[in-house]
Amino acid sequence: MEALRAEHLDKRYGTGETEVWALRDVELVLRSGEVVALLGPSGSGKSTLIKVLGLVTRADHGDLWMNGVRIFDDGRPVADVGDLRRSHIGFVFQKANLIPFLSARSNIEIACEIGEKYPPRARADELLDYLGIAHRGDAYPNMLSGGEQQRVAIARALANAPSLILADEPTAALDKERGRAVMELLRRVAHEQGTAVVIVTHDHRSLDVFDATYEMEDGRLSARAQQT
Amino acid sequence: MNLAFRDIRHHFGRFMTTSAVVGLLFTVVLAMAGIYQGLVDDATVLLDRTNADLWVVQRGTRGPFADPSRLDPSLELRVAAVPGVLSARAFTMQVLQREHGDGQLRFALVGLAFPDDRGDELAVVQGHALQQAHGELIADASLGVSIGEVLRLGHDDYRVVGLTSQLLGSGGDAVVLATIADAQRILGDDSSDALIAERERRLARLRATDLGQSQPLLEDLVVDPRWTFPALAAPPIQAVLVRASPSRVAEVRASLSRWSDVTVWTRAEEETLILQGMVAKARLQLGLFAVILIVTSSLLLAAVLYNLTMEKAHDIAILKLLGARTTRIVGLVLQQAWAMAIVAYGVALVIGSEAFPSFPRRVVLTDASVIGVGVLLFVVSTLASVAGIVYALRIDPGPVLES
Repeated sequence: MEALRAEHLDKRYGTGETEVWALRDVELVLRSGEVVALLGPSGSGKSTLIKVLGLVTRADHGDLWMNGVRIFDDGRPVADVGDLRRSHIGFVFQKANLIPFLSARSNIEIACEIGEKYPPRARADELLDYLGIAHRGDAYPNMLSGGEQQRVAIARALANAPSLILADEPTAALDKERGRAVMELLRRVAHEQGTAVVIVTHDHRSLDVFDATYEMEDGRLSARAQQT
Repeated sequence: MNLAFRDIRHHFGRFMTTSAVVGLLFTVVLAMAGIYQGLVDDATVLLDRTNADLWVVQRGTRGPFADPSRLDPSLELRVAAVPGVLSARAFTMQVLQREHGDGQLRFALVGLAFPDDRGDELAVVQGHALQQAHGELIADASLGVSIGEVLRLGHDDYRVVGLTSQLLGSGGDAVVLATIADAQRILGDDSSDALIAERERRLARLRATDLGQSQPLLEDLVVDPRWTFPALAAPPIQAVLVRASPSRVAEVRASLSRWSDVTVWTRAEEETLILQGMVAKARLQLGLFAVILIVTSSLLLAAVLYNLTMEKAHDIAILKLLGARTTRIVGLVLQQAWAMAIVAYGVALVIGSEAFPSFPRRVVLTDASVIGVGVLLFVVSTLASVAGIVYALRIDPGPVLES
């Protein structure tokens, strides 16, 4: 099933001499359960693409579909963006970005409450157990290791069973071993939950985890041949 | 899940400290209201307790609390003879400050028309009313004297036989009650030097007149203490308090008003005169001070709430990325503002109830002022959270993706 389709996405910042193309005619199709890597140097447009796909920023032009539903028609929203973000998209950040005054369990519960899809407590317990951190449910973020925090962040991203998870360098703050573990966890989640996952990464050593790899340069997206 | 409560619980100490500081500011606002009410109560308590329907004072004056009023004591008998008058009592009042022990006693000395008026109606809470024509006092407990204590006033000793509670003069001084004769004696009991000086002044004035120059023997008469000693003269009274038959108050007033030497005020008019006179400026002063304090407190509260919101900017951005609705974001800021207001209100009430009784002037907390300050705090906290709410709603969730 097609989780996401983007066609002819353009995004520019600035005008005149300061004009920068962040996205230039970007096309991308993601299937449910597919895990793709997004590579590219700094300033190539990776974060902008994540923001556009995550419905945080609007593209200037282009069309976007999610689960077959058109969301942007030539850059104009044609669906309830807020509702779609609540129920269809999950985010994982470089840092875990957990809310510091909520326990691990509550960080997941709040996402459930916002999504209004599942009973928060039961869903949070289910995800904590699924990600192997059930024993850390009552711990506050400052009491968790970096790896544990990222697991809670992934659980939070999964809270409303999204069709798309967007992860912007989720292993940047972790050592190699823990970074690898998080990548494999995201892959497992994608395959088991049927969630499409886009991961921005600089870690070329983990590319074998991905089903496809894309590269961005000067706002252009191109598929890269899979390495074995 | 109540995010405001969770955040407060996580930063409990800091939140309570900040709220307590806001509470201290509103304690002062509460004190302003209480001090004002205390001023009003103090100013009118004697008026209320004397329980007179009409106050008869010197023509053109506004009563003993506002103007010097001098009336001949015989007026009491004239008024008593008016049809419809149930009772007429002479009234004198003078604020005195005398040495007592190591300190000073400042009080409003009120004369009672003994034996008709012994002070029974002024609510003696300990001891008894006046029983003798001379040498007894009833004092307000706030003066710090006790039953049986002897005060040396002038050349005589006076024993405290009764205590009242919160019976104060219009200036907030404790009221001391004595018979009019004793009150006049205390007031007129000048020192020997003062009497000699007064005698010299009289002599000088006499010699300056034609009569004094042509009749030198008059000098003996002028300096004779039997004629000039103030305590032996018929001293004036300040007012006559009238109780009239309830159905005939207007009639009695009309009768007395026809007299050329007096002005008649009803109790309500006398109260208005007091409040418009001596309390008005104090009220304005306290009111302006309270306004400045409220504005300052509001700005402080706004700054505190704004900072609290700024500290949570990252968390709010995450909530927005998660798809949190605007109501949840607004609720987070607003509920914290209200929680702070509730804690601050509690602090203000507790500190107020503990500390206000120790204030030198009476602080009276009425239901209206207590509720009013609560409502004010609610409104102020709501308005103060606006800046925080606007800031929260403007937070762009995008940068969180890159952090």
